[in-house]
Amino acid sequence: MMTKARRVYSIPYVLWLLLFVIAPVLLIVYQSFIGMDGSYTLDNYKTYFASSTYLRMTFNSVLYAFLITLIVLVISYPAAYILNKTKHKQLWLMLIILPTWVNLLLKAYAFIGIFSMHGSVNHFLEFIGIGPKQLLFTDFSFIFVAAYIEIPFMIMPIFNALEEMNPSFISASVDLGANAWQTFWQVIFPLSLNGVKSGVQAVFIPSLSLFMLTRLIGGNRVITLGTAIEEHFMVTQNWGMGSTIGVVLIIAMLAIMLVTGEKKKKRRRAN
Amino acid sequence: MAQNIITFHNVRKEYDDQVVLKDVSFEIEQGKFYTLLGPSGCGKTTILRLIAGFIEANQGDIRLEGKKVNDIPANKRKVNTVFQDYALFPHLNVFDNVAFGLRIKKLPKKQIEQKVKDVLRMVQLSGFEEREISEMSGGQRQRVAIARALANEPEVLLLDEPLSALDLKLRKDMQYELRELQQRLGITFIFVTHDQEEALAMSDEIFILNKGEIVQSGTPVDIYDEPINRFVADFIGESNIVKGKMVDDYLVEFVGKKFECVDGGMGKNESVEVVLRPEDIQITSPEKGKMHVTVDTQLFRGVHYEIVCLDEEGNEWVVHSTRKATEGAHVGLFFEPEDIHVMRFGESEEEFDARLESYEEEQEG
Amino acid sequence: MKKKINWPNIYLFFVFILLYLPIFYLIFYSFNSGGNMNHFSGFTLENYQAVFEDKRLIGIVLNTFLLAFLSALLATMIGVFGAMMIYYTKKRQARNTLLSFNNILMVSPDVIIGASFLIFFTFLGIRLGFSSVLLSHVAFSIPIVVLMVLPKLQEMNDSMIDAAKDLGANAWTVISKVIIPSITPGIIAGYFMAFTYSLDDFAVTFFVTGNGFSTLSVEIYSRARQGISLEINALSALLFLFSLFLVIGYYFISQSNMSKKQRRLRKQHEEVAHIL
Repeated sequence: MMTKARRVYSIPYVLWLLLFVIAPVLLIVYQSFIGMDGSYTLDNYKTYFASSTYLRMTFNSVLYAFLITLIVLVISYPAAYILNKTKHKQLWLMLIILPTWVNLLLKAYAFIGIFSMHGSVNHFLEFIGIGPKQLLFTDFSFIFVAAYIEIPFMIMPIFNALEEMNPSFISASVDLGANAWQTFWQVIFPLSLNGVKSGVQAVFIPSLSLFMLTRLIGGNRVITLGTAIEEHFMVTQNWGMGSTIGVVLIIAMLAIMLVTGEKKKKRRRAN
Repeated sequence: MAQNIITFHNVRKEYDDQVVLKDVSFEIEQGKFYTLLGPSGCGKTTILRLIAGFIEANQGDIRLEGKKVNDIPANKRKVNTVFQDYALFPHLNVFDNVAFGLRIKKLPKKQIEQKVKDVLRMVQLSGFEEREISEMSGGQRQRVAIARALANEPEVLLLDEPLSALDLKLRKDMQYELRELQQRLGITFIFVTHDQEEALAMSDEIFILNKGEIVQSGTPVDIYDEPINRFVADFIGESNIVKGKMVDDYLVEFVGKKFECVDGGMGKNESVEVVLRPEDIQITSPEKGKMHVTVDTQLFRGVHYEIVCLDEEGNEWVVHSTRKATEGAHVGLFFEPEDIHVMRFGESEEEFDARLESYEEEQEG
Repeated sequence: MKKKINWPNIYLFFVFILLYLPIFYLIFYSFNSGGNMNHFSGFTLENYQAVFEDKRLIGIVLNTFLLAFLSALLATMIGVFGAMMIYYTKKRQARNTLLSFNNILMVSPDVIIGASFLIFFTFLGIRLGFSSVLLSHVAFSIPIVVLMVLPKLQEMNDSMIDAAKDLGANAWTVISKVIIPSITPGIIAGYFMAFTYSLDDFAVTFFVTGNGFSTLSVEIYSRARQGISLEINALSALLFLFSLFLVIGYYFISQSNMSKKQRRLRKQHEEVAHIL
């Protein structure tokens, strides 16, 4: 009885899966084998792997994403940890989430003002005697703003992992003689690793592709995989090459998911 | 005489203005099996957590081996806990769980391996070293938790309702094993439970708690035979409790009749409560019975029949009997004077003990 | 009690400062009469006035909200049935596969979604504009609805459904009278998330929007590329206020969504908090 109804109500969802999940992925792979003239070709991949510009761009993009992720992790873990101990933590957590609901472009726009040649940070630098510096359109400003935007996305999964952890693990560890430091490194941190992993996923992947930030904050000095794709699709109209870089981005994404995915292997004691 | 290993002196614990432990004092001797028994919210787990050092007392002294430990953190105390949910670390296997405390102490590797092997054998888990916690059954996890706590060689082992998650059969087996383990190791066990059968079966001493106070303490037999008040009588075993009047020493009146009893030391005509255990009452003919009742209902309980009778005043009398009764029949109830237990209203444990001593001496003299 | 410096809270305080400073910086300068974000020359509401007089901008704001409203509605309908389909897939392997496919759009970078949808629409010959943007927003909002609804289905007592069937209900009655009411909190949360996803999206819209249609994000992007305009500051202050309302709404939804287990854990955490 239920199965017939199920078949009916499943239709829109299955259609969505086919048309908007599976088809686009196949299409972008297909497109990556299409040249400028519309014929099937491997030229896009040949160009990509032969060009030091593309390879350096890919390497830089991964390096930026890595740096951003590292900075965000270092700032977010303690914050999530402290947050989990506060009273009214749900309220504080909402305050962490609130900035993510402010449009990303507005936040980027704010930094255009803050970092500009005559902006507040330079006023401050002038005041302490360092003198104004070119801040906007530098690697520093891109990494800073990207990290700023991603921090809540790292705090949330770590906070959730810490909150879900059974508190008697902490009692048990202390009961067995461990001090606060030992309890943290031997119990709390390993048990919150899943939160760290999902946080890394949530930060690393967008960091490869935030083209609007590189445009607005990084000027044209910082080029990530995302910027390159946008460039090829929206400016030079070379969809084939854009798709090829898209495939590279998908592969990078899968790689990071593989690294941070939950491992099902059984841990064996190393003797 | 055994040494006091733990002493509580007027210990008080409050949470957000709610008093969960009201100035509790007691002593715990070395090498015995203690049980803290009481309904949920009575403060028994709070006592355990105070001993372990997970929480701090608002007032009063807690001493371990004579030394005040109020300010000593949990990781520096020579007590270990078996948690209700076991709290086994899911990221470590059985060996690493048991070795956790030993590694913290930085013992040499060889010694750790030997020690882990020993305690795992003690809880009959030899050969399970490499298993993941997720691969273990409830009963096995229970044993790992005990092994992990024992590996640290504590002076006192605290057990927080460790059997509550197990099924009935396994629970009974574990009761024997825990008792046996305690006697073999000779260390103090403090066991928290709300299950009176468990408490009676395993303990040397039972502390009965209610609403943040120790209501009565003593051996299982003492507590069962001489409950101090209605709460204890109700909580431990099944009881028939009726209002009565102490006519004189060794003579009590209830359900409109006077009965000979063995209690004394109370005021003349003092209002009291009278307890009769269902298994102490026998059903006989109306002529031989000390009390006349009508059989109302009965249930077959396997070992015995549980027979509910009503007397003329409408009081219920529960009787346990191996023989079947006839519903609606008029029967007599017979019991010995020593089966009657008289309880005074609002008597504290000290007063109760003092009174018992005074008239027991009298009887002997 | 000893008075000592509470380093953890100071740290947290600085994180909050970092998170909010840029936003308040924007809002502060929205009242600046000087025309830039460098020097505060005087208080004015002119920038707000400019926002309300900018017919084009108001039109775009209305478009953006209409889009969010519609796409969230459609995504919620499809997502709820999708969640039910996943929940009632009994084979574990099949269910996990379905879930993985569901999550593809959640983890994919925006540019990939945008670029692949652009290829897709061009391939099918769908004209870029409101309809392509709407379809895209529905598409990327569906997975979050599924993820919000699925836990509620899992919490649901299955014997309730057996009871309803036992009492003579047919499949559609069971769905509308039993299942839907008991997962309503999840549905509301799902709609809410879909709404904000649509409102916040820039990258996907940027790819599939064409020339005729624009959303707020795209508009801000093109204006920001031209430099500072305090009209945007005023707009951001208004949007921040709106987000604040949304967050308060979300707070109450998430409170009622919190399971008993979470509440219990929260209490226990408070107990061990002093240990470390």
